[in-house]
Amino acid sequence: MAASLQRLGLAGKYFINRTCALTRPIIGSRRHRATEAARQVVLNVPETKVTTLENGLRVASEDSGLATCTVGLWIDAGSRYENERNNGTAHFLEHMAFKGTRKRSQLDLELEIENMGAHLNAYTSREQTVYYAKAFSKDLPRAVEILADIIQNSTLGEVEIERERGVILREMQEVETNLQEVVFDYLHATAYQDTALGRTILGPTENIKTINRNDLVEYITTHYKGPRIVLAAAGGVSHDELIDLAKYHFGKLPARYKGEAPEMPPCRFTGSEIRVRDDKMPLAHIAIAVEAVGWSHPDTIPLMVANTLIGNWDRSFGGGVNLSSKLAQMACQGNLCHSFQSFNTCYTDTGLWGLYMICEPNTINDMMHFTQQEWMSLCTSVTENEVARAKNLLKTNMLLHLDGSTPICEDIGRQMLCYSRRIPLPELEARIDAITAQTIQDVCTKYIYDKCPAIAAVGPIEQLPDYNRIRSGMYWLRT
Amino acid sequence: MTPGSAQCQFKMATHMVRFRTWNRAKSFGTAAYRRYSSGGGYPNVSLSIPLPGIPKPVFATVDGREKYETKVTTLENGLRVASQNKFGQFCTVGVLVNSGSRHEAKFPSGISHFLEKLAFSSTAQYGSKDEILLTLEKHGGICDCQTSRDTTMYAVSAEAKGLDTVVGLLADTVLQPRLTDEEIEMTRMAVRFELEDLNMRPDPEPLLTEMIHAAAYRGNTVGLPRFCPMDNVERIDRTLLHAYLRSYYTPERMVLAGVGVEHDQLVSCARKYLLGVRPVWGVGTPSSADQSVAIYTGGIIKTEKDMSDVSLGPTPIPELTHIMIGLESCSFLEDDFIPFAVLNMLMGGGGSFSAGGPGKGMFTRLYLNVLNRHHWMYNATSYHHSYEDSGLLCIHASADPRQVREMVEIITREFIQMGGTPGEMELERAKTQLKSMLMMNLESRPVIFEDVGRQVLATSKRKLPHELCDLISSVTASDIKRVTAKMLRSKPAVAALGDLTELPSYEHIQAALSSKDGRLPRMYRLFR
Repeated sequence: MAASLQRLGLAGKYFINRTCALTRPIIGSRRHRATEAARQVVLNVPETKVTTLENGLRVASEDSGLATCTVGLWIDAGSRYENERNNGTAHFLEHMAFKGTRKRSQLDLELEIENMGAHLNAYTSREQTVYYAKAFSKDLPRAVEILADIIQNSTLGEVEIERERGVILREMQEVETNLQEVVFDYLHATAYQDTALGRTILGPTENIKTINRNDLVEYITTHYKGPRIVLAAAGGVSHDELIDLAKYHFGKLPARYKGEAPEMPPCRFTGSEIRVRDDKMPLAHIAIAVEAVGWSHPDTIPLMVANTLIGNWDRSFGGGVNLSSKLAQMACQGNLCHSFQSFNTCYTDTGLWGLYMICEPNTINDMMHFTQQEWMSLCTSVTENEVARAKNLLKTNMLLHLDGSTPICEDIGRQMLCYSRRIPLPELEARIDAITAQTIQDVCTKYIYDKCPAIAAVGPIEQLPDYNRIRSGMYWLRT
Repeated sequence: MTPGSAQCQFKMATHMVRFRTWNRAKSFGTAAYRRYSSGGGYPNVSLSIPLPGIPKPVFATVDGREKYETKVTTLENGLRVASQNKFGQFCTVGVLVNSGSRHEAKFPSGISHFLEKLAFSSTAQYGSKDEILLTLEKHGGICDCQTSRDTTMYAVSAEAKGLDTVVGLLADTVLQPRLTDEEIEMTRMAVRFELEDLNMRPDPEPLLTEMIHAAAYRGNTVGLPRFCPMDNVERIDRTLLHAYLRSYYTPERMVLAGVGVEHDQLVSCARKYLLGVRPVWGVGTPSSADQSVAIYTGGIIKTEKDMSDVSLGPTPIPELTHIMIGLESCSFLEDDFIPFAVLNMLMGGGGSFSAGGPGKGMFTRLYLNVLNRHHWMYNATSYHHSYEDSGLLCIHASADPRQVREMVEIITREFIQMGGTPGEMELERAKTQLKSMLMMNLESRPVIFEDVGRQVLATSKRKLPHELCDLISSVTASDIKRVTAKMLRSKPAVAALGDLTELPSYEHIQAALSSKDGRLPRMYRLFR
């Protein structure tokens, strides 16, 4: 009783912690009972139903009959659609969404949500903008109405815009104290230099100080169009009811562009590095990555298995956990780092596959050496046993992550934007099952072996080998 | 080639053309137009397109409301088995033991911390942790152990069809651990690292929680340290662990709980693996367990610490002094537990800068009266810790060291104001939010597991979510007034961390909390 009534329940999180925080499961799905090649498989999970409205807006939901639900808008728009001048607009807009509409003042909105016992939240990534609400299932109609109101009728008042600048600058400070975020921003800045993916989501200070109402309005009119929006829901939700609500509240969203639809500019990957040496910091934070593939590329799945093979580790785990990862064994035995995480970050047409590590200054060299050694063995000598185990782990992590309405709703929204469908579980399993040690070796050789990595390093990094030496660790001389 | 994949190839090709025109040379290796891997039978079909030849799934539908029913069976040896059905093909099953840092009175502190880290290591049947993980992976499962002040939980989430294996593995883990020298040495290292990290982290919450418990229950039960003190790391060994396990890991102090399983099946697995088993440490006598009841003492714990440079990076974090002030609430077995939970919700609060939109408690008192009015405060958050025999309602606040006195007074005044009649709106809101939080937490299977396990461990039965909601609905303004009045009669517990030059004395804080308006006694200084 105490557990579920604590304001900050820890319990729900502990099974999820073990999955890599950096790679939100890219495709999640569920496991079916029989793997035989039957004509039909019976699943003990509800179906994801998808309906497209006349204006192109897609409605996708999964009903599990809970007393609570999550419903949200997944929009195909993020900082990637910005240019140097308006970088930060998507994120600014996300902030303005809760600042009042033509129907509701900011106070009305806040009071209404709080009095319902609901939650309203939003986030912006490089390619997606998300607004979502959690509420009692009985309040679904109100939640959808509020979401529709905040993205269609936001007043974007000048006073509120001015006030929000300060808030965003403060948020920027907050982000800067989070070294993982700092390192990943640097990694993008170097890997995708001179392209839209290289910019940060928050945008530079000058832009935050100058973005005006026009920029925001223009961003909405350019990007918030029916075909680029998904209304996703999970928990206690009826699909038919959701369709009716969507028609009523989003029916007026424009479907087409007057001129040409905005194109997504391609982003070139450059093997390169950024070093920010600061010997006063206690620990070095380093990310190294090669260019991988986009969301929907079939090689994504072998790369995720490869990612699982490298694994993640934290020194307070001790030696036992995660022993399926050889790198974890070495890191633990040699006391090589405080923690590391393997990641695979995907975008539409490109991705970053690599490792993030936090080390004492005098173990950087060794840690880097063993990391690259493991990468090379993925390309050349990974065994069937290791691969089979990683496949299993990957499935487990994906499936167990889908617990509760919010992770499921997120999964639906993200998959609808990335694949225009939710991959049925038997298919996902079939795709993972088809992977062999040979697949991993081929795919890793294709993307990792003898490729130029992008590197971002912050802290006491004197010991980090120079770029050419790291580059020469990306292949093995074979005799 | 199927039409689907042909279309995919076509799309890829157009993609590629656009790329070529955009970027001159082959200065980059975009995957989009690389050839797919040739090796093996790996399908090169875009994830946007259905893979051909996949059987058609038949999905389940929810037929009406889920039946909420927790079944409990007590075995002959006193072990209780509890289960709860849930939609889905995974289950969470585990053993909860009435054992935690509060039971370490006759032992060196830190044993439960060690046991948490040692969990799921080698056992009589499994040669290593790796073997355990491999066995679980075959059933799509993972395991975890968590210790709190009063309970240790060993839990596994796996496919429901692997239940028998899972229960067998849990029984072996709990009752037959090998505790080899090597494993204990590894654990010493992991514990040391954890203690180091705890002191390095900019977030002081775990430390403060430890301190306020030590202040509130000085030297007894839940006041004992939850984290192993550094000095004890070398002292704890297998002999000591066995002596502890013999006293506390007895069947009548355990619950086997399962969510997403059939009750009869769980009971038969329990009989098979947990009945008539002799644990590796031999059989204990129940009388050797420490039966002491939590004694609330109140008091103050101060830790002077230089917090001027806690940032781990180049961006500085402002220097803060943290205080936590608490008063005795009640145990979770008492009826007043629900009004206290509502009161905690009503106080709410959080960081002055926190992510998240409406719904995070923007109209709770600590936001409205404290953070929105005093912009120099960095944090004001209410917490409620409750155990089987006592509880603690406390507020954490942080600000610049020069404003500690002011901050303390703001918090003591909030405590006094809790004694007034809450407004109808704020009370309704707090109750609704408590209910929604409860139901949202219980969406997740591991949380349901913990809820079932803890309730059955404490009371041998479970109050169902809707029953709890009814109890919350019936809380009135006079309930809040009544429980606050009772709470304000207790002696304060205070924890303070950071630069403490401006910290008022304990006596003054106590005086403020027994005054009418919560003000600290005036201090007259000749030279300011």
